[in-house]
Amino acid sequence: MDTPKVPSWPAIPIAKPEEVYAGLSDQAKDYPLYLESITRQEKNFEKPEALALLRVLDCTTSMMIGHWCSSQLSELGAEVIQVEPPGGDPLRKLTPFGRKEYMFKDKESGEEVGGQFLHEMRNKLSVTLNLETEEGREILKKLVVHSDVVIENGTPGQWDAWGIGYRQLREINPRLIYCWVGQRGQWGPLKDKPGMLEPTAQAACGFVHGTGDPKEFGGQPTRSALWMADHVGGTSAAMGILAAVLYRNNVSGEGQFIEATSAEAIIRILDYSWAWYSMDGSIRPRYGNWDLAINIYAVNPCKDGYMMVGGGHDRLWYRIWRTVGDEQPAVEEDILGDLHLRDVTERLAHDMQVKTYTMLGEWLKDNPRSEAERKLSKQQVASGGVLYVNEVAEYPHFKYRGHVAECDSPHYGKILYGTTPFLQHKTPGRLKWLGRPVGYDNEDVYRRLLGFNRDDFARLSQTGVTHEEEEEEEL
Amino acid sequence: MAKDTASATQKQSFEEFCHQAFDPTKEFSKPEALKGVRVLSCTQYILGPSCASYLAELGAEVIKIEAPRRGEAMRHTTPFNEPFLYPLSRWVPERGTGLGFLGANPNEYFISVDFHRPEGQAIVKKLAAKSDVMVENYRPGTFDRWGIGYRQMKEINPRLVYCWLGGFGGWGPGRVRASYDILGQSQGGNFGMTGKQEFLGGAPSKHTIWLADYWGGMMGAVQILAALYWRDKVSGEGTFTEYSQVHGVTRQLEYALPLYGRHGITRQRWGNWDTQLCVHGIIKCGKSSYPGSENPQESEEGYILISAYTDEDFARLCKVVGDVKMAEKYAKTENRVKAQSQMEIYPWLEKWAADKTKEQVAEIMDKANINNQPVWNAKEVANHPHWVQRGAVRWLDDPTFGELLHQGPAYKMSATPPRLKWALKPVGADNELILGKLAGLSTEELRRLEEQECI
Repeated sequence: MDTPKVPSWPAIPIAKPEEVYAGLSDQAKDYPLYLESITRQEKNFEKPEALALLRVLDCTTSMMIGHWCSSQLSELGAEVIQVEPPGGDPLRKLTPFGRKEYMFKDKESGEEVGGQFLHEMRNKLSVTLNLETEEGREILKKLVVHSDVVIENGTPGQWDAWGIGYRQLREINPRLIYCWVGQRGQWGPLKDKPGMLEPTAQAACGFVHGTGDPKEFGGQPTRSALWMADHVGGTSAAMGILAAVLYRNNVSGEGQFIEATSAEAIIRILDYSWAWYSMDGSIRPRYGNWDLAINIYAVNPCKDGYMMVGGGHDRLWYRIWRTVGDEQPAVEEDILGDLHLRDVTERLAHDMQVKTYTMLGEWLKDNPRSEAERKLSKQQVASGGVLYVNEVAEYPHFKYRGHVAECDSPHYGKILYGTTPFLQHKTPGRLKWLGRPVGYDNEDVYRRLLGFNRDDFARLSQTGVTHEEEEEEEL
Repeated sequence: MAKDTASATQKQSFEEFCHQAFDPTKEFSKPEALKGVRVLSCTQYILGPSCASYLAELGAEVIKIEAPRRGEAMRHTTPFNEPFLYPLSRWVPERGTGLGFLGANPNEYFISVDFHRPEGQAIVKKLAAKSDVMVENYRPGTFDRWGIGYRQMKEINPRLVYCWLGGFGGWGPGRVRASYDILGQSQGGNFGMTGKQEFLGGAPSKHTIWLADYWGGMMGAVQILAALYWRDKVSGEGTFTEYSQVHGVTRQLEYALPLYGRHGITRQRWGNWDTQLCVHGIIKCGKSSYPGSENPQESEEGYILISAYTDEDFARLCKVVGDVKMAEKYAKTENRVKAQSQMEIYPWLEKWAADKTKEQVAEIMDKANINNQPVWNAKEVANHPHWVQRGAVRWLDDPTFGELLHQGPAYKMSATPPRLKWALKPVGADNELILGKLAGLSTEELRRLEEQECI
């Protein structure tokens, strides 16, 4: 079968600065050009890395929260050593609908890895180590001597029982920051409910119940397409780790124990759900693509898709209706004449939201996303269409700023990826490489940190500490 | 003595040890990680405020500056215009404070300054000279124009970490565009991929939380902490950081961009199922857990996540359901995970669960040792002993508003735990304390500035 031809990225060339800032006065250009000069990612490698002195052992497998946490640190310059079981983290094998053709193949060995795992393995070194063996655990202890941070996601108490938990490792390295990550926690009544992959946490914290359309509109509780709670949980773990590093460096000289869960990270950001419940028993409901607490602030259907329009306070409220009124004066008149829509909080009542969006929909149905955005932007109203991935990849602003970029991997060829949003003047985040084959850095890490020699490598490989014992399985 | 303690802790079960190390009731007996770090938060809505609040939970002295009198917009938003916190707001006497503010500003000091006026700008400069971090989320260039942006502040205080957060970033073709969380979700790409499948009549779906804001704020905090590390350990210098919430969302699209780049395939919605694993999806149980409830949030049918994606787990699941044919047909992972297979497997499970509540399904799955997680609503989460014991949701005796159920910090630390002190305060509540202490304003000056609505 012929493989369809895929156009190279970008299909539409990236704009040049003189096009972007054409027609602006020197004064108007001054500030954006200044920002551009201090934060452009092309200049990253002329600058130092914020966390260059930090070494992190990411020992998590089969879950995204730990990988997400360590990739934030590695983007900011930490040396992250990804410790995988021999044969690699099982997540390497994941690919949409099981389609092998969507995996990325190492040019030399033919070893395959899925896009999701690859996308998070940025800047990390990959070593293999079998922690189920005594010798593997001894090697881990030696690595810990040289590390600032260790991240693990074993079942609750597993590492402690193995003699490599926080209680034991702090004796080996009192400066160690030890972080456990998971879905629901390693203590408390649910600790023995097996940990597993997202969207476990999303379902356990109220997020899924509150997302999607109400039942009356044919809706049901809805998960995020992404393993989103792991992303938020991973970022919160990174926050805790860096705070602990600062406290260690500046104050105590000692490490500590951190625990971060995906579910609690989302509970933290479910804004007023808890207070609201405690006041009158209200259970945060699903409200589709509208917002419970702001009007106008919603996504509604338009001519060619779905359109976000937002403007909660009076100034923007009137500008939105002025824009609509240019084409449909009767709608503007009706809205402005409605006494119940005059006050910013009175607009929040459900009936008022129904009226607002019904009227707005009258206008949106004749306007495609780009037109609606052009008209509303003229009035400085926040607006924009719901974009699909192909549109995100080609969006002029994102391409110009490098939100999406292509990495030329020595192992896997060209890969399109989402770049780090950590733009900075002095020590920006950056991409050095995107993913490694399993155990690619064994040689470097074990020689450099532990002084292993040829004999050690051969022995460890044979005893199943760094490599799978394939022959034995065949017997 | 140290040895005794060490052996005593060794004897403890691991769970007891963890409970003691992370006990939320002991937070105030421990030091704070960011004590001595001062943060100026010139922010409104959620993205900027939440960023500063994560630092405030860690013990930083966060000073939030609002517009005099009405304060920031989030004080006036609340779900359906129903719940308000009392006492009444000083400046909007007809009603109290809306709940939209909650979770984005705990532990902060609240002062009010009019940024537009030279006298106000002079106060901000005085504060910035004594601060470690400044967080700001006005439209790009506004603070620069007012003489209180990064270019000016780095001259006043070279150690200052200046963090701008916002929608599209301050440069590039879209730099003038305003943004909100929901726009970040729409344009960043996670919105279009979330929701029921297109061919089942589904549409793109918003994440119920202000995700691009609240999580974006965390990303900002991570970057600030890294910048402080570099300042304190390496260079002694501050820096400028720019965080675009749209950029952040694009960063989290998992395999979507690599797949599009290599194969030209646009990732589509896949509803409550998983594109890479099966069984690993949320199914509908036919019965409500609270059939008599008048609350539609409770009377509707229950939902549960069932996860049995390994071959062994799936075989066990088939045994539970009592279906040998399915066990044979879908014995292999690569067969189960195909789109067509998922179309058959999940309805099959929903049919089996049609006469059960989510609790009944959970019990059956627990017994068979199959991973599961009922979809809990806010009430179930707030009352669950697990979350209560861990302090994820906790009662707060707020000095202004009284007893409130409030979320705890997102993560736990044994030595320097983040903590919750108060939820919020009225506009300008700490004017006297902060402006007296840091800007040297006398009582008389404070009164005059207040009368002129400059603070």
